[in-house]
Amino acid sequence: MVNGYKPATLQEAIAIRSREKVIPYAGGTDVMVRRPEGVPFLFLNDIDELKQIKDDGEYIRIGAAVTFTEGLKSDLVPAVMKEAVSRIAAPAIRNAGTFGGNLGNGSDKADSVMAGFALDGRVRLVSVSGERILPLGEFCIRRGVTAIRDDELIAEILLPKKNCDLPYYYKKIGGRNALAISRVAIGGVYSVKDGVIEQFTAAFIGGGNVCKRFEEIEATIIGKTVDEVKANAEEYVNAYAESMTFTRGRVSAEYRKTVIMNLLKDFIQTING
Amino acid sequence: MKEICKSIRKKDHDPKIEGRSVYVDDYVTTADGREILTGRLLHSKFAKARVLGVKLPELPDGYTYVDASDIPGDNNVNIVLDDTPVFCRDTVEYIGEPIGMLVGPDKTVVDRLLAEIEVTYEELEPVLDIRTADESFFNYEFGHGDVEKAFAEADKVYEEEFLTGYQDQTYLEPQGMMAEPEADGRMFVHGSLQCAYYVHGAVARALGTGPDGVHILQDVTGGGFGGKEDFPSIIGCQVAVAAKKVGKPVRCVFDRREDLEFTPKRHPSLCKYKVAVKDGRVTAVDADVRFNAGGYSTLSAVVLQRGIIAAPGVYDIPNVHVTGKAVKTNTNPCGAYRGFGAPQTFFAMEMMMSHIAQDLGEDSIAFKERHFVKQGDTTSTNGKYHFPVPVPAMLGEIDALCDLRKKHIEYRKPQTGRYRRGIGFSAVFHGAGFTGSGERDLIKATAKLRKYADGTVEVLASNGDIGQGVRTTFPKIVAHELNIPFERVYYNHPDTARVPDSGPTVASRSLMIVGELLRRAAIKLRDIWQEGVEQEVEEHYKEPDFMIPFYLDRFEGDAYPTYAWATSAVEVEVDTFTGLVNILGAYGSFDVGTPVDYNIVVGQMEGGFLQGLGYASIEKMDYDGKGRIRNNSFTDYLVPTSMDVPNMKAVMHVEEYPDGPYGAKGAGELPLVAPPPAYIEAVEMALGGAKVHPLNRIPFSTEDVILEWNKEVL
Repeated sequence: MVNGYKPATLQEAIAIRSREKVIPYAGGTDVMVRRPEGVPFLFLNDIDELKQIKDDGEYIRIGAAVTFTEGLKSDLVPAVMKEAVSRIAAPAIRNAGTFGGNLGNGSDKADSVMAGFALDGRVRLVSVSGERILPLGEFCIRRGVTAIRDDELIAEILLPKKNCDLPYYYKKIGGRNALAISRVAIGGVYSVKDGVIEQFTAAFIGGGNVCKRFEEIEATIIGKTVDEVKANAEEYVNAYAESMTFTRGRVSAEYRKTVIMNLLKDFIQTING
Repeated sequence: MKEICKSIRKKDHDPKIEGRSVYVDDYVTTADGREILTGRLLHSKFAKARVLGVKLPELPDGYTYVDASDIPGDNNVNIVLDDTPVFCRDTVEYIGEPIGMLVGPDKTVVDRLLAEIEVTYEELEPVLDIRTADESFFNYEFGHGDVEKAFAEADKVYEEEFLTGYQDQTYLEPQGMMAEPEADGRMFVHGSLQCAYYVHGAVARALGTGPDGVHILQDVTGGGFGGKEDFPSIIGCQVAVAAKKVGKPVRCVFDRREDLEFTPKRHPSLCKYKVAVKDGRVTAVDADVRFNAGGYSTLSAVVLQRGIIAAPGVYDIPNVHVTGKAVKTNTNPCGAYRGFGAPQTFFAMEMMMSHIAQDLGEDSIAFKERHFVKQGDTTSTNGKYHFPVPVPAMLGEIDALCDLRKKHIEYRKPQTGRYRRGIGFSAVFHGAGFTGSGERDLIKATAKLRKYADGTVEVLASNGDIGQGVRTTFPKIVAHELNIPFERVYYNHPDTARVPDSGPTVASRSLMIVGELLRRAAIKLRDIWQEGVEQEVEEHYKEPDFMIPFYLDRFEGDAYPTYAWATSAVEVEVDTFTGLVNILGAYGSFDVGTPVDYNIVVGQMEGGFLQGLGYASIEKMDYDGKGRIRNNSFTDYLVPTSMDVPNMKAVMHVEEYPDGPYGAKGAGELPLVAPPPAYIEAVEMALGGAKVHPLNRIPFSTEDVILEWNKEVL
């Protein structure tokens, strides 16, 4: 038997969340596989406030309970996010799985979260005591651990509009073409004005125990000319590789490192402008 | 296309699509309303150990522990030899070996109690390495010609090793069996299985009842691929012993992790080939074949036999020497999987031929073509290819599909850039039916037709539908001969209490052998047909007259009456940045004789092709230094999806076999055998060919591609 609460509003949901231990449930595709016995679910999948995709002028706001399929159908969701989401699992799982769930379960291999990093995204958390907006880099701590408090729920993913229409790079390497967890993935956006790089992000899966960006390296790229960056691609790639930790899992550390470095080089070489 | 080839709706289509089919795990109670107890196995935690004691927690009322001491009959499961115990003896021989079974009404409680059992072991040194394992369950040696002389006179001698890994059948429904003690004292055992009479023999022996004391029913079975050839006999005995002890129905259904870790898989192999070439022609093959059998012998004898008979491939080689060993290691016992030993040796021989051709500077397709066997040639066991060998025509068919010959030469030229292409070719056979004289001496199949007064006809045979469609094709044959509507002929899942022994559902034999018995029975029934009365006819297997008798002691004679043939081509594009292999196209021509239902056969060909590609690429399963299989979930053991091979074309080439129904011969296993060497030849070609990157093992993963590619870069 599955026991739980099915609140109609976000207010009700955070009230329940604040008073007892529950497992937030949005799509259930992951949590149903390994839920602990005896803890009730808090079903969020019918809360209208969490099912919206909106443009507030500054951010594209994707509600936590928006499914991947809904995201793929939306005109507001940026292309790099759609490409990442289109490679998640298979249609049946994309019909149920959600943006909030992908972030909340703390996976270091969450494809939509990586795309969110590439777009310099934030997460809006709500609780009875108010709300917090955190950059994804502060929210994702390490595999299985996030900055969410026991009384909070993920309300929205916020994607800065200024990044949403930029040219992007995205590549996922899984064990097969569908229903595959990323072994390595890389995504990023950039902008170039008069031959100078104005914006550059690169986010990674497979370069450590959490999905991440390396803003200090990005800062060394921003402001340089495209030609300079391409000419020194090797240096930048090495700087990235040194900042990452490659571990053995389903594939070897050597494999992850080789592929990340190859793809990063490819990303840099494809920068237009 | 013959009338019989036209596709019809499968008999099990509607119940499966509508979710009405009842699998063994679906029974809420037994058919007569009794409660079903859950049985869960206590698996050994060590690969090799003496079991000193089993300390049980306090068992609540209704919970019972069952082990070898409860076996009324013999603690040996009847498979080929009888070394596999129902429950372990003094020692355990692999991780997962069943020590006992805990039985009770509530699965959660059973699992909790199971976790509380304390087993004390004396750990012993396990044997885990196929190379150094010195105990063999089976040792075979055969050949013909004068191999030594051929090597002495050769222009060049090639030696190479080939390795293949595990492959799991990955049927949708995991293993599961149930036993119900009946009021008349008989034990009724049913579940997910391929070979009802194998289970029958095994359970009768374990219970010590004699054949009349048990009967076995196949429930709706969610796939087998060979994985449910021997294993249901083992679980069948375990639930029967438990049900006997507690006097109540007991069911044991494996969860997926248990199934992936502890049930039979394809044998990993190590093949050492030595080949003599003179004047551009292969004059001798000396093959040393080792299969990793695991902790008990189970089906390894017959798997190995089929493997070594195929060791020289589809080639006419005057001097052949083959040795085969099924070595014992303290690992999970391997068993049957579609192809049954042949995929291992065909992989080795096809790659060997390709590598020799590359060294000689000849296109490997042309090189292979010059060696193809033809009708009348001698087989590896001094039998004869009695019927036309259509391989050259089938090579032409796949050439027409994908411009194989041209690309095969084109992609050999030096390539540059991130993406590199390759195309590989392979040709194989699959011996149709049982190896050797088993059909005549051991199986002696009988099949019956029972006509009821209302004019409906029931097929009585023991072959289980495991998705391959015998519930459809058997009635189709019978209806065709009787000239009555297909709807009036039916074939239920076999129950050994009602059906004769028409043999097991293995070896791509059901349609060819039993289908032909039913065709002949239908003709007999047609001749005596009387309206309004019940009538029964029976047919028995008779070996075709042309067969050269097979002697297993010297591997001499016709190992098979005829052969199914396949050619395949796989075209790939390799991403040298990531190691991803994009399969641009997979093409196969298949000769299984007359396809008795076209859609069913093409479905079989495509499915088997995909499994073959998985075997060669992503299906990676291995054990660690303690003998434990770690890839025990579908997150860690990946099989291909339809997204991985979007462009697959299977065409049928029909070379009719006069002793099969309407010309049909074995079909089920063939399609898996050819793709692995074609895939690996393609990947090797994309990486620059055997001179820089010789590939000689499967699976060859994305990661393997990068590590191999880096060898040159570093």
